[in-house]
Amino acid sequence: MNALGDVIEAVENHRRFVEREAERARREPAFGREFLKRLKAARERAGSVATPTGLKLPRVALPDTDEPGEVARYLLGEGLPGEFPFVNAAYPEMYLGHSDAGNGKPSVEEPTRLFAGLGLAEDTNARFHFLTRHQKSIRLSTAFDGPTLYGLDSDADGVFGKIGEGGVAIDTIEDMERLYAKFPLGDKHFSVSMTINGPAPVLLAMYVAAAKRRFGPRVVIELRGTVQADILKEVQAQNEIIFPLDASLRLLIDMVEFTTKEMPRWYPISISGYHIAEAGATPVQQAAYTLSNGFTYVDLFRKRGLDVNRFGPRLSFFLDCGLDIEYLALARVCRKLWAIGMRDVFGADARGQVLKLHTQTSGRSLIAHEFKNNLTRTAVELLLAYANATNSCHSNSADEPYTTPSEEYVRLAANAQAILLDESGLFKYMMNGLSGSPGMKIVERAVEQAVLEEFEELERLGGVLAATDLRYQRSQIQAAAHRYERQINDGTRPIIGLNRYRSDVADTEVPIVRTPRKKQQLQVDRLKRFKQRHRPKAGPALDRLASVVEKGGNVFAELITTVEHCSLGQITDRLHQVVGRYRPAI
Amino acid sequence: MKVATQKSSGAGGSLRGRRVPIRVLTAVPICDGHDSPIITVNFELVQHGIEVIYLGYHRPVRDIVRAAIQEDVRAIGISSYNGGHIEFFSDVALRLRKEGAAEISIFGGGGGTISPADAKIMKRHGTDEIFFAGTPLAAMVSFVKRKYGKTPNSKLQTPEKLQPPSSKRDRVLHTLKDRDLARLLTAAENTASFRTPRSAFRTPMLGITGPGGAGKTTLIDELVLRFLRTGPTTRLAILSHDPSLLEAGALLGDRAAMIYSQNDRVFMRSMGTRGKAGGLARATERALRVLQLGNFDLIIVETAGIGQEALPFRQMGMKTVLVMSPDYGSRLQLQKIAMLDAADIVVVNKADLPGAKTAAAEIEERLARNGRGQSLVSTRATRHGDAGVDRLFDTIMRSQRQ
Repeated sequence: MNALGDVIEAVENHRRFVEREAERARREPAFGREFLKRLKAARERAGSVATPTGLKLPRVALPDTDEPGEVARYLLGEGLPGEFPFVNAAYPEMYLGHSDAGNGKPSVEEPTRLFAGLGLAEDTNARFHFLTRHQKSIRLSTAFDGPTLYGLDSDADGVFGKIGEGGVAIDTIEDMERLYAKFPLGDKHFSVSMTINGPAPVLLAMYVAAAKRRFGPRVVIELRGTVQADILKEVQAQNEIIFPLDASLRLLIDMVEFTTKEMPRWYPISISGYHIAEAGATPVQQAAYTLSNGFTYVDLFRKRGLDVNRFGPRLSFFLDCGLDIEYLALARVCRKLWAIGMRDVFGADARGQVLKLHTQTSGRSLIAHEFKNNLTRTAVELLLAYANATNSCHSNSADEPYTTPSEEYVRLAANAQAILLDESGLFKYMMNGLSGSPGMKIVERAVEQAVLEEFEELERLGGVLAATDLRYQRSQIQAAAHRYERQINDGTRPIIGLNRYRSDVADTEVPIVRTPRKKQQLQVDRLKRFKQRHRPKAGPALDRLASVVEKGGNVFAELITTVEHCSLGQITDRLHQVVGRYRPAI
Repeated sequence: MKVATQKSSGAGGSLRGRRVPIRVLTAVPICDGHDSPIITVNFELVQHGIEVIYLGYHRPVRDIVRAAIQEDVRAIGISSYNGGHIEFFSDVALRLRKEGAAEISIFGGGGGTISPADAKIMKRHGTDEIFFAGTPLAAMVSFVKRKYGKTPNSKLQTPEKLQPPSSKRDRVLHTLKDRDLARLLTAAENTASFRTPRSAFRTPMLGITGPGGAGKTTLIDELVLRFLRTGPTTRLAILSHDPSLLEAGALLGDRAAMIYSQNDRVFMRSMGTRGKAGGLARATERALRVLQLGNFDLIIVETAGIGQEALPFRQMGMKTVLVMSPDYGSRLQLQKIAMLDAADIVVVNKADLPGAKTAAAEIEERLARNGRGQSLVSTRATRHGDAGVDRLFDTIMRSQRQ
């Protein structure tokens, strides 16, 4: 049996366990009293808070019952915030204390994350400095341009015009140095996130090498951040994979092996449902494929001999939050299934059981027509994301259907989060005021059941890797995407301003952010000079890399040296020669 | 459902009373993996009688133009969501002109990423139409039918030089260019009475068949890689078949899964079976005669996925390969596969699947009973540099020399 089969069994066992315990709590007064005592203690621990209007409230909302069966079901089946199986929240305190500490600055880290990347490295660097100028903790989230995402150099045939479009152009370690210039890379209040997958090991190697250049070799252990590196969802949905899947997985595992040992503060993979949902998956498919991919990675890392209690806590998740009602409880279900699988199948300790979640509002739900409606769509999605106790969140800009977000709409998107968390009273006094409503629980049960059914189908197909090879997830996602399009076309899925309440007023044109040709040319010229300068050493470095690949050594460790003399495209080309190219699936 | 029509063109008259589907090529530009919208559009076009050759995502201009020319499509549809569309669309137009194929039209879309101002520039540079976000699928279909349903202009008449050459020396001199070959193929495909100019060349042909999902296309692409390595000027042609929908279009998608066949030394043509059962089309033999004019070193014919009773290459004078996956069912099912007696080489692909060894043993037994010296090779075509595919390639090369 595959790991996924064990997970299904563990979830069913857990469900039966909860029911048995609830039954016993009802039957045996002494046993039931223990649960009541635990709940009472939790109430006392939670403390209370006064709102500005003078209302006194508990900081954590807990079930309002003293029926022992119900209480047992809550404590064991959902768990208190921060307790197994983490349905309510990953940590006991979320968002609380987010209000001003008197100095105009938040007293704890903001959950807001803003994704940026445009033009050349120095442009994105400037944008980063602008975005974080008021933040105590600096969290940079980096988008790369198309050529970088596909492991190509800016001087590759046919990519001119795409350099710096939709993200930043990175060809060499020198670009990487420019990208994060004047930021304290080893600082504990600094972290970066890199949204890259196919060539992720090369880009992370560039980051490590660039940090070493500036801060010396001792910085490596201090580096904090995330690299997406989720290659399974690339095959299933996003299509940014460049090496065959088995080779891609080997490069990934090499990287995870290295970071687990040498970069203990790094998150080497962000298990992502976002792109699965954006490609058209239903919320249930998003949850099922993302979680099952996650379990597959854990299984692979374990088979490499890595300790689940060392790499487990360094896994994180990235989910989409759209407007479908499933999102009322989707993240709750995900936390629960992950916790049970990690504890009962993989033997992870408490830190490895927690699904740490970054949410992004749905890009696909944004509509070009009357695009200012997107502000409202994003606001609703934000509410759903925080009602699901996400650990961090990115809110999309309303102008995203057109362009790399402009500064105006980036600011509005960030403000939407501040309005929800700081200005509104919804989350700042009582962190989980919306969780556990009867409707939410009904959705939760329905979603959980549907996700388990998807797991069973994957298991019948021979597990995640076999199903991926059969293009199962891909075909399911595509079918869902077509259904969605048809529903918009025939009006059964109302889209305001598009197929409902459509106005004849033409949209004012949005100013579009583009990378000027001159800048693109500058990037090409810089790259050519780099290649010129490093010509004598590039060949031997690539040969050493190829030999490490062939001899089964850790490719990531070697890449940190290779990037000193070789560009991304040169490395990709050489790896293609050794491991082959990815064959696209339709 | 009404089927889109296009007057047939080329030498030798027309297909009276039969409607010829419009052919378009669709693709997503280089560094762009957003294939969900174009797949939806493909599906819609095919449902409305159009033959769509789908090239896939992350495709450079030269691959798109090469494929459009070889497939002799009426138009190219490009779906771009990652920026750089102004450059990309005009590069496609520019390259089409450079290759003498300016009559192939361009249309496209990109949700909200292409602004009306961009679209104006793109239209000036040779794009017919840009569909903005929210365009109903039906509007795209009717645009394609209206705009590309007619033969564009007199340029589409078969050029003089394609007339049958008069002497052997002439014939040798007339190694045809992709564009001319493609145009002749269109004429051959659409015209039952089409007379192929006689070729001086005797290019060996290799037929590859098997049930759907056995991995034929991947295997062919891997064989192409090895074949191209045999010499710097080696050239080959692929004639690939996919099923047409009933009275409708076809999604010809083999190119999307090919890596090594996107090469100037490879001429590939995709054909819909257009209502013919058995894996090939009515026009297949005519098309093969045309491909003989290309002076290739090898012509590979790939059938659509076939059923147990099919014998697609009977009396076509070529070596044949049957590709199977191990999951054909019981031994009894195996007995029913007619092609097992006819094939020169039988391949058990996906040799890593459970049951592959059983399959190989059962097939070996069957071939031994046939007593015709048929070869059996196990492969894993999806693996880079698979030794099984190397063996298959050697076996094919040996069989061609016989």
